[in-house]
Amino acid sequence: MTHMNDLKFKERFALKIQYMAGWVTLPFWSTLLIALMRFVGRYRIQHLREIRRYYKNLKRTVEGPILLCSNHLTKIDSLILNWSLASTWSYMKSFKIFSWNLPERANFYQNYILRTLCYVGSCVPIDRGGSREAVKKSLDKVTYLLRKGHTVTVFPEGGRSRTGRIQEDKFTYGVGRLVNKVSNCHVLCVYLRGHNQKNYSDIPHKGARFYMNMELFKPESAYSGLRATRDVANQIAGRLVRMEQAYFAAAGQ
Amino acid sequence: MTREEVFEKVVEILNQYSKKEISKENISMETSILEDLEINSARLVDIVLDFEDAFDIEVDDDDADTVATVGDGVNLILKKIQ
Repeated sequence: MTHMNDLKFKERFALKIQYMAGWVTLPFWSTLLIALMRFVGRYRIQHLREIRRYYKNLKRTVEGPILLCSNHLTKIDSLILNWSLASTWSYMKSFKIFSWNLPERANFYQNYILRTLCYVGSCVPIDRGGSREAVKKSLDKVTYLLRKGHTVTVFPEGGRSRTGRIQEDKFTYGVGRLVNKVSNCHVLCVYLRGHNQKNYSDIPHKGARFYMNMELFKPESAYSGLRATRDVANQIAGRLVRMEQAYFAAAGQ
Repeated sequence: MTREEVFEKVVEILNQYSKKEISKENISMETSILEDLEINSARLVDIVLDFEDAFDIEVDDDDADTVATVGDGVNLILKKIQ
């Protein structure tokens, strides 16, 4: 079992510095990114106020860490999520509610600007398909962050859905392991989709109006070990699939 | 149980998950489960759970992480049943 002190002091300190750097520079990069999304992408979030109210209330009332598990269709889903969940001002007041995420290193760490944005934007890069040690190190970091009360976003499909629908067969059980490692961990399942998003893409299509639905639950499993890991991952997958079905049923498809 | 018997059973289990038709003749202890057999990494836990059922053993998360090749699986099972 991984414990908090599995991370060396140097690594914990580096995360603290990253957190502080993100918080101090937040007004600059957050304003820039939101402006790009609103005025260049012309993106809109449906029921933004209700979403933010729900999330604010959740962070006030839920005891224990929250792991966000979302479907994944574009490379900027985590940006859209953080934009939706709270205002820049709310994040300034409590940066802990800004969600950390685990982008694929190969996608976001190739140029200096993206690298810097990922650093201040609370990213812990992960090498999917990389060495087990490297993957484990990234997961240890987010486990540590969750235990410290931070919010973390993961995309349990492990990548953008190639079919445009949640791919249960691609669901990684790592999410189950993460939940089981962190005591009292709650899962916020999020279904996010632009109205004109038929399939996966790098960025959402211009003018996208985002539908977002959230369901909070605390996974419980009667099993232990690997079976519990699989059970919890399946519970999360099942919820997201039902949320997707509800979305398409409401859309009449 | 001999190494050969464990190997055969492991091949049988892997066959259920691989996109390729595999047999004990066309794979070795060095065969990578993910790359050579084209098995989705998300299915590794299912495979290890099948090992547990087939050999009546218990594998924890850290041990499961060590399984990358057919040989890793066979060696882990042998270690657990001894």
